[in-house]
Amino acid sequence: MKRLIAYLGIFFSIILGGILGLTAALVWTFDVLKAYLDTGYLLIGIALGAFIGGVLAFMRVRLYFKEQQIEKGLAKHLTNVPANAANLIRAIIGQMGYRKKVRADVMAELIAHFEDELRDCKGDDEKEQRAQKLIEDFGDAKLLAVLLRRAKKRCRPLWRTVVARTFQTIGVLILCFIVYVGWFLAGRPVVTVDYVAELNRMVRPVADETLNAAPLYEKAVELYEEKSSDEMSELLGKKYNEATNEQKQLIEQWLEDNDEIFDLVVAGTNKPYCWREYKEAEGSEGLMSVLLPHLSEFRRLAYALRWRIWLSTERNRYEDSFNDIKTCYRLGQHVKGNFILIEQLVGIAIESLAVHTLRDILSRHEIDSAMLATLQEEFQQITNNEDFIISLKTEKLFMYDETQRCFTKDRLGGGHLYIPRVTGLGGDIPTKLDDIVLEVVLSPQQWLGAAKILFLHPNKQQTREAGERFYAWAETIVNQSPCQIRGKGIDIEQEAMKIIGGNLLLEVLCPAVWKINQINYRNKIDVQATLAIIAILRYKLDKGDYPDSLDKLTESGYLKQVPIDPYSDKPLVYKKIDGDFILYGVGLNFTDDGGEVYRDDEGRVRLWGDVGDWVFWPVQK
Amino acid sequence: MKFESQLLKGIAPAVVLEILSRGQMYGYELSQAIEQRSGDILTLGKGTLYPLLYNLEAKKLVKGRWQQADSGRERRYYSITSRGKEQLAKQKAQLKELTAGLNLVFGGALAPA
Repeated sequence: MKRLIAYLGIFFSIILGGILGLTAALVWTFDVLKAYLDTGYLLIGIALGAFIGGVLAFMRVRLYFKEQQIEKGLAKHLTNVPANAANLIRAIIGQMGYRKKVRADVMAELIAHFEDELRDCKGDDEKEQRAQKLIEDFGDAKLLAVLLRRAKKRCRPLWRTVVARTFQTIGVLILCFIVYVGWFLAGRPVVTVDYVAELNRMVRPVADETLNAAPLYEKAVELYEEKSSDEMSELLGKKYNEATNEQKQLIEQWLEDNDEIFDLVVAGTNKPYCWREYKEAEGSEGLMSVLLPHLSEFRRLAYALRWRIWLSTERNRYEDSFNDIKTCYRLGQHVKGNFILIEQLVGIAIESLAVHTLRDILSRHEIDSAMLATLQEEFQQITNNEDFIISLKTEKLFMYDETQRCFTKDRLGGGHLYIPRVTGLGGDIPTKLDDIVLEVVLSPQQWLGAAKILFLHPNKQQTREAGERFYAWAETIVNQSPCQIRGKGIDIEQEAMKIIGGNLLLEVLCPAVWKINQINYRNKIDVQATLAIIAILRYKLDKGDYPDSLDKLTESGYLKQVPIDPYSDKPLVYKKIDGDFILYGVGLNFTDDGGEVYRDDEGRVRLWGDVGDWVFWPVQK
Repeated sequence: MKFESQLLKGIAPAVVLEILSRGQMYGYELSQAIEQRSGDILTLGKGTLYPLLYNLEAKKLVKGRWQQADSGRERRYYSITSRGKEQLAKQKAQLKELTAGLNLVFGGALAPA
């Protein structure tokens, strides 16, 4: 019965393996189920597994029955020797603890020895006595079993020893691996510091709540949401020349009807501070889950302000227009603060929106010198104390917070990666069973990555230290102009990878320092170039001609300082051309391209292009 | 006088090889042959015999093979290999030198009568 069940099991596993293998081969060869091609990999894997399993099972069962047969035969022979001798032989063979075939061989030899010794005995008593004497001659059964086992092991051919040792080693390694993986997966992080509270403490200035602009902005946003439809929001997102006259009228009417929104924004920009309390999203924990819904709302407010600026300019209400430009820029400064990186970037974008709108107006309208002087002075005041360098302090808090959440408690090994959290951050680790099978089990090239995570990935303490080193280094980089960095031969990306390379968490979490450096200096030169342009236009209006050089502006008191191009560490390039002038920086390629701007594939001008110059004037249409 | 001491254990492999050099034998035959040919002076305990045979087999000095005995039963016959013969020759030479040396020490008292 047992035999039948065993052979049926083998038969069905081979049939199943064969069917799966055939299906997989069809899918693979004829590309029948293109959409399910991935399933083909799975089927091939299962089919191979089933086939190999079937063959191994077959071999094992055959061996088992063969050994059973031998044992049965030997058991028969044991009846030929007296009971005391049979007991000794059973004890020796039982304690030998070696391969069945070898034990059967030894057993047969020992039985034969007793049979030969007792062959001439006449009666059972004599047989028993002779057997007892021989038993004594054989000595201790346990010791003999050990000696026989040892000797038989030495008889094993070299290849068998190598195979046995290899399998033993693999077995031990697999066992260790399973235990290790179990231990690895059982680890859980322990959160000890509330970094959201820490962030709130860090960004809140020592100031009275009445000096906070945030509540006014929040009211403005609420009103905006209440008063604007989706269509109006879409219209406000358009550029001036993209809207029809009818749409412009609709926008103008809406802006007039909702003055109070902008009154609140203006009131907010007059406050010295802006801060809000960060809160985690419901059901989530940690700084990564902090909600920032205000960012898109502020951006919409800035777009609405831009329309007010354009419409005021069209009506020649330059003062209103410039006031709104300042409001927009100030809103950007408030959004930027010293907050989370994404807030700083949105703030910079709003500032940039204000600056570009101003340059556009200056290029289209002739504004009198006195008004320009006021504009320049007020704009200078707003930007005087502005730190254009993006702060990375809050980002460092993110690193600390995620280190405590993405690593297990500091135990043996110093805390290892906690995979579910890292995958949540966007680490490139498959989590679904299908993906694990396809991307890891069936992709040997991924095994290295998996092994790295399991055995080589930096632990919690090392990650924390690397993160600290990274932010210390990043602080030095963001404070150097691109030209200085180039002069020192620093490859920012390469240097960053030297610190955080191979650390899954830090690679996901640490910001692109080269980009931050670029944005810092781009924002700064954008403002400084605009101030210089106002000064040049004033000079022209006052003196009848453009200045011969930027130095003329500082000498005659039109400009406090000549704007320095961060990509050449020299003044921006200024030239008088055919009754106009050109003002540009050399841009990302560090090369003076003679004021040639970068155009994309569709021919559109890109101010901050990778090649070509950054031309601030004439304003590119 | 029977030797079952460390002294015998040291020369047991040479004794087994010498007996097998005269023809193949199975375990029981071998133990009988040792006792008979040494005039019952040398007796190899059975607990020593089989581990010794397996060790010699591991060193490829003897070769074991199941075959039918005269009684019609299957027995494991051991025969000396060419490597076993070389080893035996070496051990014999060493034993000769040892005996000569011992004779000198004992003033010829160890020489056969």
